[in-house]
Amino acid sequence: MSTLVSAGMARSIRKNQGVIIVFALLVALLVFGAVISDRFRTTNNVLNILEQSTGLALVSLGQTLTILTGGIDLSVGSTISLLSTLTSGLINGDASMIAPVIVGILLLGLVIGLINGLLIIWLKVHPLIVTLGTGTVLQGLVLLYSLGPAGKVPKGFTFLAYGKFLGIPLGAIFVVVIFALVGLFITYFRLGRYIYAVGDDDAGARLMGLPRAKVILTVYGFCGFCCALTAIYLTARFGVGQPYTGLNYTLTSITPVVVGGTLLSGGKGGVLGTLLGVYLISLLNNVLNFMDISTHYQLIAQGLIVIAAVSIYVEKRKRI
Amino acid sequence: MVDLSHAKSAELTGPTAGIAGRLAPYALPIFLVLMIIVAGIISPAFLSANNISNMLLQAAPLGIVVIGQAFVIILRGLDLSVSSVMATAAVIATGFSGQNADVVPILLIAVGIGVATGLVNGLLVTKRSVSPFLATLATMIVLQGIRFAYTQGAPSGNVPPFFRTLGSATWYGIPYNLMLLVVLGVIFWILLAKSRFGREVYITGGNPTTARLLGINADRVTIIGYIISGGLAAIAGLVLSGYVGIVDNWVGRGFELDSIVAAVMGGISLAGGRGGIVGGLFGAAVLIVVFNAVLLFGLPVQFQIIIKGIVIVAAAAFYVRRTQ
Repeated sequence: MSTLVSAGMARSIRKNQGVIIVFALLVALLVFGAVISDRFRTTNNVLNILEQSTGLALVSLGQTLTILTGGIDLSVGSTISLLSTLTSGLINGDASMIAPVIVGILLLGLVIGLINGLLIIWLKVHPLIVTLGTGTVLQGLVLLYSLGPAGKVPKGFTFLAYGKFLGIPLGAIFVVVIFALVGLFITYFRLGRYIYAVGDDDAGARLMGLPRAKVILTVYGFCGFCCALTAIYLTARFGVGQPYTGLNYTLTSITPVVVGGTLLSGGKGGVLGTLLGVYLISLLNNVLNFMDISTHYQLIAQGLIVIAAVSIYVEKRKRI
Repeated sequence: MVDLSHAKSAELTGPTAGIAGRLAPYALPIFLVLMIIVAGIISPAFLSANNISNMLLQAAPLGIVVIGQAFVIILRGLDLSVSSVMATAAVIATGFSGQNADVVPILLIAVGIGVATGLVNGLLVTKRSVSPFLATLATMIVLQGIRFAYTQGAPSGNVPPFFRTLGSATWYGIPYNLMLLVVLGVIFWILLAKSRFGREVYITGGNPTTARLLGINADRVTIIGYIISGGLAAIAGLVLSGYVGIVDNWVGRGFELDSIVAAVMGGISLAGGRGGIVGGLFGAAVLIVVFNAVLLFGLPVQFQIIIKGIVIVAAAAFYVRRTQ
């Protein structure tokens, strides 16, 4: 297993200059942070960074796959908001509801993603427009369900966000495991390889008779599933879900993907770059915090990173 | 991102013949008229002079943004930074002195910011081959950060009376901002539909390779397109700040998506090279009528959002089928 993982990592590093660049930036930022602040060097702070990055990591994983096919999912923010509000609203403090609600939310996330995929296949409309539309509808639905924070979660539920194994947050461990599994899937499994094929040359993939519909359904279904994971994690972390929990994730989920070297035009990139991109962004915000730089400037820094990243990786000419 | 070849390579349907075929290009105006009639029957208040005047007031800022968005989308791009440009322009308009004497510098600075943003967008898209989605997303975030850093999160000041009048007053029931929209609409319609530059926009958007073979400077055309979008967004921001009348860091929030939706509904294809300003403005009108009708029918505001989402997908699906 471990040789498989390292072989896969080696291959994805060779194919993805983004991984090297982001890794170098990550190390540089770690050194910089360690130099400027004693408090930065503490184990607690590192765990803190890992904890803060978990929600973003989970949704960015799903987003990576949709972008690899040359698509995008702009409905992730509303999906997270809806699922998070439903999670706390349905559990509503009743510990016996935790298990059935979690199962239901994961299924619902999957179904929402599959609906996106089906609409993209049937309507032949660009994923950007389809998911913009479904995202808008979902935002309306969650506001119909509740205009503010809904319900509450019992004490035990927050364990999902704050529980630790050997001192490491459970969420952070889960992130590494699921990224590794998806990395293996898209590197070694036939359906996973088709994701790259569809993203690289959609028309060519169709001519070769690849199961394009199956690929689209897989990536959007999985993206919806990732939204459900994010929603459950965020609900556990904040103790309650509200109709704007996911608002910012629609666009911020794209940032680590492109920073990690996955091209918006599809066909190139991978999940390792995305994970490093997530860590880089969380680390950057953390370092800026230690430098007492306000969140306003953190926003500017994030925008500049996107510009820098997309300027380094030159994309083939694309339409959107 | 994905190229839209799957839309084109799908099985061809025969040319739609007969009345339906001939009416298809006018689908949106017909739909708009039908909607107005139905809304008027269900709720007579919909057709009151007051309500119509109100809808026109709301339509103008969106319409102005859609004009700019039309150029960018015809050039195979899209501009997500318009809402950020609008809010920044509005914050400047209010953060200055609130005096009429400062209208000219406010206008110059606001449009300057819009033009500069458009220039950065255009340069990123052409010279660095950044996808328009990411380029304009990044400038949107940066501009938002600059705005918040400048106002420290709490903008202050007053909207100068000139912009109050422009944004919210009417002349015998006709809003001043609608007059501005008409003037801008005519100017940019001539530029896009009748000028040499307009033809270059369509050729570049339709097929960049053809454009290069014809000796068109595609990069220059594209950059100008983004500059037009940025400049018009700044003007729309000033107009909207006059309509809202208060200081707000989020003036124009949602306009980036609404303007794209209006353009797509108006037949401007995200694949580039197709559509026009008139269609885009009809798209904006349909959106405004839908929003207004939902409220007038006493439906919860959430239905505005839900209906908007359905309309986006349905309109896009309609045009994909028509252009096959």
